[in-house]
Amino acid sequence: MGKGVSPVSDQSGAARTEAPLLSVRNLTKHYPITTGLRSKEVGRVRAVDGIDFDVYPGETVGIVGESGCGKSTAASSLIRLEEPTEGTVRFDGEDITRYDQAELKAFRRRVQMIFQDPESSFDPRMSIGEAIAEPLAVQGLTDASRRREIVVDLLERVGLAAGDADRYPHELSGGQKQRVGLARALSMNPDMIIADEPVSALDVSIQSEILALMTDLQESFGLSILIISHNLAVIRQICDRVAVMYLGEIVELGTASEVFTNPQHPYTRALLASIPTADPTDRGTGIELTGDVPSPSNPPTGCRFHTRCPELIQPDDYAFEQSVWRRVMDLRQKLDGGTVDVDAIREGVVTEREPSETPDDVSATETKARLRDEFAIPQSLGDSRAESVLEAALDDLVSGNPAAARERLATEFATPCESQSPTLEDATAGQTASCLRLENELPPTELEQTVRSD
Amino acid sequence: MAVDNEPRETFEDVDWDDIDETTRSFSRKTIVTIGVYVLFAVGLLYDYVLKPSRADTIEPLGISLQALDWLYILTLLTILVGVVVPLYENGRMTRYYWQQFRKNRAAVASLLYLGVIFLIGSIGPRFLEQPTVDSSNAYQPPVFTSAPNWLPVECAGEVAGGSCHGTWAHPFGTTHEGKDILVSVIYGMEVSMQVGLIAALITITIAAIVGVSAAYFGGWIDAALMRYVDIQITFPTFFLYLMIVYLYGGSLFSMIVIFGLLGWGGIARIVRSEALQRREEEYVLAAKNAGASGYWTMRRHLLPNVSNSVITAVTLLIPGLILFEASLAFLGLGDPTVPSWGEVIASGRNDLPNAWWVSTIPGIFLFFTILAFNFVGDALRDALDPRAEGGDQ
Repeated sequence: MGKGVSPVSDQSGAARTEAPLLSVRNLTKHYPITTGLRSKEVGRVRAVDGIDFDVYPGETVGIVGESGCGKSTAASSLIRLEEPTEGTVRFDGEDITRYDQAELKAFRRRVQMIFQDPESSFDPRMSIGEAIAEPLAVQGLTDASRRREIVVDLLERVGLAAGDADRYPHELSGGQKQRVGLARALSMNPDMIIADEPVSALDVSIQSEILALMTDLQESFGLSILIISHNLAVIRQICDRVAVMYLGEIVELGTASEVFTNPQHPYTRALLASIPTADPTDRGTGIELTGDVPSPSNPPTGCRFHTRCPELIQPDDYAFEQSVWRRVMDLRQKLDGGTVDVDAIREGVVTEREPSETPDDVSATETKARLRDEFAIPQSLGDSRAESVLEAALDDLVSGNPAAARERLATEFATPCESQSPTLEDATAGQTASCLRLENELPPTELEQTVRSD
Repeated sequence: MAVDNEPRETFEDVDWDDIDETTRSFSRKTIVTIGVYVLFAVGLLYDYVLKPSRADTIEPLGISLQALDWLYILTLLTILVGVVVPLYENGRMTRYYWQQFRKNRAAVASLLYLGVIFLIGSIGPRFLEQPTVDSSNAYQPPVFTSAPNWLPVECAGEVAGGSCHGTWAHPFGTTHEGKDILVSVIYGMEVSMQVGLIAALITITIAAIVGVSAAYFGGWIDAALMRYVDIQITFPTFFLYLMIVYLYGGSLFSMIVIFGLLGWGGIARIVRSEALQRREEEYVLAAKNAGASGYWTMRRHLLPNVSNSVITAVTLLIPGLILFEASLAFLGLGDPTVPSWGEVIASGRNDLPNAWWVSTIPGIFLFFTILAFNFVGDALRDALDPRAEGGDQ
């Protein structure tokens, strides 16, 4: 595929000798949740919570993750379109978080951004030419005829006609507008372009055209590109290295080829498993993320992915089948959240019965069986000791004592993932991932093996 | 890469260090604009500070400019710089809006009517003497009409069959004081245009600045500005004007200034809510990404994008102001030194059974002026509606 021809494209990060162009350390962006007249802070949305990565000259780095994982916030706060809460961003050796207004304005010439929505990223009252020339004018190029010449040249380089300069945004298609977006970014002759979901608003057929154009321009001008996307196909097409983000943290970072063929983090594996294939006989690897995406205002303790991780570490004393273990933990999390409604379960059973029966007629055994069904837990766990713990907890729950059930499950079915935070560790050369399995050198699960053998 | 024979400047050729070193030069348009305002300021300075206080502004021509005249000149200058020049510069966009506007026939006729009123109102008072009291000339009927012969003291036209016929000497007739109604109506045109345009310009200037800054800066600036608007809107402007009339006597200048300075609250709210939506658009972020200052963003992005609702609000504000001035003048609270439509209507209210023309003729002008502004406002709103965009050509 059309990867950048940078000499370092497939080199591992550890072996690099040159200095990174962009170096992000502990970048954090929290949005305070305030209330009342005096804006008392009652909580924080931890959109980006301490991320580290580097971008080398001429390299394309991708940040991938679900919607709401903080990847766009990371992009805008690392070039101070929003002020980061904490952390340092070094660009060409200088810490840009300490820049004053004048230095920041000069820095804008070196890093430019392409925005997600081509409909909203152009002022409907400005012609295309004015929009492309806006950075030039802002930065002090007051001579309109010089600006015009540059605009015409840029339009042709991105595959549009010189006459398009006088058209208005609503007269162009989405793909054309994204080309204009590229021209606007290029007008500053930047060293680096940050593209936030540059093709997600476009038709699939247009997407690859824009990506190919980006790669061409990268080759011509030796640009570094940081591309943010939720679309793994886009990342796979153009990136040299990939960072996978989950809930404000980077969980895996490595060369694109390694991350795609040998994913180290369970979340990356789940993401890869979600890519549809053209093979009708391929029913996928069966990895499905259960549970809800947690809120970044109240992220889970320990490993942030533990509430949905299909490869959650099991307690030493019990032997579960991995998928059953996941289901039991789903039940535990629902209990912790206080969202298990036993009365609703009883009513659910009654609706399938004689009309004369009331929820009070439903026996404890039936309720427990229905509870297991709700969470797709088999009626009997393989491990008899685990089974007795679960049964006792369900008894507590059905007899109206959810606190006891919660307590019992928390002490018996504890996992290190909920208490210990993993750190980014070298998994293989040039590839890091933050997972306790890697830290504790636990054997891979069956799920992991299925993905790897793909 | 583009193959090109002519050497052409590209973005790679720009030497930013060089640009940083050269001091900011201004475009010719900016220089002309600033020059025009400087000229205005010099004139104002001369009139109020340098020349002897009793002397005429331009002695040889006998022209004396009052505070209101200066304000009107400033208003017309600003309309030229802020409306006419941009419309001329963005020819394509102007033609598109004109295409849309033209669909409304009544509005085109209204615009023409308002243009004529504006022209006559601007030129007429320069050449015509203010109507004077001349009791021997009272109650002359308009041309082509007649009145009972006993009504006018001395019929200026021919008398036939006991009726006095109107003449071209007084095409719209005269009042009970013998004032020529045509001249009064022409003076009234200027008054109405001054009231409508000056007060509207003061209103939208303040409303746009307050609304856009409140939306852009947010936080305590927003809270302070909008709470002030809340207070101002509850303030009874009418009673303030009554107090001024009681203390200093009625004057068109104070009326315009009071309604201009205290009547912008509603439009500021409209501007703010509109600008709040625009601020979240990605092009604002793109401007920031280019290194644009807050002023640039407000001036180049927020203001042009809220102008639709501002223009619509203003075309509906102007007739309100004109009507308000006429009402105050009708009640005798207007400026006694200038003949306004309201005043002429009031002067004829006792003569309605006999001399119908005194109140009716200025009334017709007032009616059609209000109607025309409303038609133009409606058509502008339709033409500027962004939902209709994309359908041109």
